[in-house]
Amino acid sequence: MEALGHLLAGFAAALSVKYLLFALAGCVLGTLIGVLPGLGPAAGTAILIPLTFNLDATGAIIMLCAIYYGAMYGGTITSVLINVPGEAASVVTCIDGHQMARQGRAGSALAIAAIGSFVGGIFATVALVVVAMPLASLALKFGPVEFFALMVAGLCLVVGLAGKNMLAALLMTVIGLLFAMIGLDPVRGAPRFTFGVEELFDGVGFVPVVMGLFGVAELLLAAEKRQARMIEADLKNWIPTKEERRASAGAIGRGSVIGFVLGLIPGVGAIVPTFMAYVLEKRVSKTPERFGKGAIEGVAAAETANNAYANGAMVPLLALGIPSSPTIAVLMGAFIINGLQPGPFLFQERPDLVWTVIASFFIGNALLLILNLPLVGLWAKLLKIPFSYLCAGVLIFCIIGAYGLKQSLFDVWVMLGFGIIGYLLRKLDFPIAPAILALILGPMMEKSLRTTLEMSGGSFAIFLDRPVALALLVVPVIVIGALLLKPGTFSKLRESDVD
Amino acid sequence: MRQARLIATGAMLAFCLFALWQSLLLSLTDRLGPGPGFFPFWLALIGAALAVALLITTFREPADPATDATPILPQGPGASRWFAIVGALAAVTIAMDFVGFRIAMLVFNAGLVIALGERRWWLIALFAVLGSFGVHYVFTHWLDVLLPDGRLGV
Repeated sequence: MEALGHLLAGFAAALSVKYLLFALAGCVLGTLIGVLPGLGPAAGTAILIPLTFNLDATGAIIMLCAIYYGAMYGGTITSVLINVPGEAASVVTCIDGHQMARQGRAGSALAIAAIGSFVGGIFATVALVVVAMPLASLALKFGPVEFFALMVAGLCLVVGLAGKNMLAALLMTVIGLLFAMIGLDPVRGAPRFTFGVEELFDGVGFVPVVMGLFGVAELLLAAEKRQARMIEADLKNWIPTKEERRASAGAIGRGSVIGFVLGLIPGVGAIVPTFMAYVLEKRVSKTPERFGKGAIEGVAAAETANNAYANGAMVPLLALGIPSSPTIAVLMGAFIINGLQPGPFLFQERPDLVWTVIASFFIGNALLLILNLPLVGLWAKLLKIPFSYLCAGVLIFCIIGAYGLKQSLFDVWVMLGFGIIGYLLRKLDFPIAPAILALILGPMMEKSLRTTLEMSGGSFAIFLDRPVALALLVVPVIVIGALLLKPGTFSKLRESDVD
Repeated sequence: MRQARLIATGAMLAFCLFALWQSLLLSLTDRLGPGPGFFPFWLALIGAALAVALLITTFREPADPATDATPILPQGPGASRWFAIVGALAAVTIAMDFVGFRIAMLVFNAGLVIALGERRWWLIALFAVLGSFGVHYVFTHWLDVLLPDGRLGV
C-alpha cells in the first residue's frame, strides 16, 4: 500500500511536461540506437550520457532508462528487416521475424513485437513495484559484511554465466577490479597506481572505458564487415490478423514471466530469457515445425521476454545496488555521476527520484508502443544510413562523452585505448561483461571488505558468524565449484553458447 | 587465434605481476586494519594465478586449424576502414588540444566519411559543418557541456 502511494506521487512528477519530454527523447534515441546495427543498448546508453550531463538527476535517469528499453525494442527492426540483430537480445527474433519479412509479413512481426514489448515491460514494472520495496527493506538490514558477500555473489554469477571459458571470465573480473583500484584509496585517501599522472587521481573514468569497450570497439568490429541488405517490406499493413493475435497471446504471457524472473538474476544476460521463452513456445506448440519458418509466437515470446528482462533487471539495481548486466552497469554509472548510489538507501534518501523513475517506466513503455506501431516505416528508413555517416556520428558522441565529464582530453585517449582493447578482447573471445561490472563494483567491494576486516580486527571468520553473508558466499562456491567439476553445467544459460 | 590468445593472456599476466609489485610498495596493513595495498595485492595475486592457469589450458588445447588461421587484425578493405577510424580518433584528440573542438571535428568528420567511402562533396560538407559547429552550438548553448577551445582559442 505504501508502494502504491509512492507510485502515485511518482506518476504526478513523471507526468510533468519536462519529464514526459525526457522520457520521449530517451525512447526516440533508444529506438534509434537499437535500430542501428552493431550498436547495442550498453554502447547506446553510454554514448548518450553526455546529453544528460546538465539535466537534474531525475531527468537524467529517466532519459537514460528510456534509452535503454528503447534500444531493447529498436533491435527488433533490424532483426526482422535485415536479419542482423540491432543488439544481442534480438538474435532470437531474427529466426522467425526475418522469415516473416520474407513472406511479406514484416508489419505483423514488428507490430506483435511492439505489443509484446509493451506488455512485457508493463508486467515487469508492476512486478518491480511489488518486489523492489520489500527487497530494499531487507537489504537495509545489511551491513558491510553482507554487502561484500552480495557483491561477490553477483560477480560470481556473472562469471559463471558469462562465457564458455570460466577461467577467462574470472581473469577478466580480476582485471576489472584491478583497474578499479587506480586512483585515491577510498578508505585512507592514499594515491595508488597513479604514477604521478594527475588525471588518474580520480581513477579511470567509467564513461570513457565503457564508451571505448562498447562504442568504439563495436564500430571497429563493424568496419570489418560488409553492410547487410534490407528487405523492402510493406509496412503500411502492420495490424496483425485475429489469428496472429490469438497465437501470440500465450507467448506474450509466458515471455513476460520468464523475462522478469531471469532479469532478477545477475549475469544471465538479455539473450537468455529470449532464448528460453522461444524454446518454451516451441515445446508447448502443437505445430513446432512452423518455428524457424515464420511462426509469430517465436517473435512474440522473444520480444516480450526481452523487454520484461530489461525492466526486471532494474530490481537488483534499485533495491540492492547490484548491476546485473553491462547496460545496467552503465545506468549505475549514470546514477553515480549524478551523485546517487543505487541501492536500498536510495529508497529512503530519494524516494521522490526512485518512484518518479519507476513511474516513468510505465510511461516510457506506453510511449514506445505509440512510437513503434505507426512509425515503424520511418524507423526502417534509418537502416539506409551509410556506415560512414553512422560511424562518424557515433564517434562525435563518444568524443563529447569521454571529454565532457571532466573536460579532459586524457579521457578521450583512455576511450581510444579501451576501444582497441575491447576490439581485441571480442576477437579473442574474452568476455567483457565481468570486467565492466567489476570496474563499477570494485571501489564498493574494497570499502565493504576493509570495513568488515576493521570491524573484526582482521579476521575473516566474521563471514562465518553472519548467516546471510555466509549464505550469499555459498552461491559463488556452488557456481564456480559446479563449473570446475562439470564444465557443461549451466551451458543452456550461457550467453556465448546461445550465440 | 590460439597464439593470439596466449599473447593476450601473457600480457594480462604481466599486468597482474606489475600490479602485484606496485601493491607491495603500498602498506598491506596498518594499525587500523587493511592498508591501501591489501585489496590490490590479493587481487593481483589471484589474477596472476588465473592467468597462469589460463595459459596452461590454452597451451594444452588441441590445435584447431579453422580458428587458429583466423587473423586477429582486420584484413582487406576492412583493414583500411579500421585504421581510418583509429587514426582519425588519434588525430582529432591531438588536434583538439591545439585548434579546439570545432575546427578539429570539421576536419575529422570530412576526413573520416571520405576515408570510409563517401564521395558526394555537398553531403560531406553539410555533415562536417553540422557535426562540428552545429554540435558545438547544441552542446555548449543548450546542454551546458563545455567543449575544448584549444590553445589557439578557436
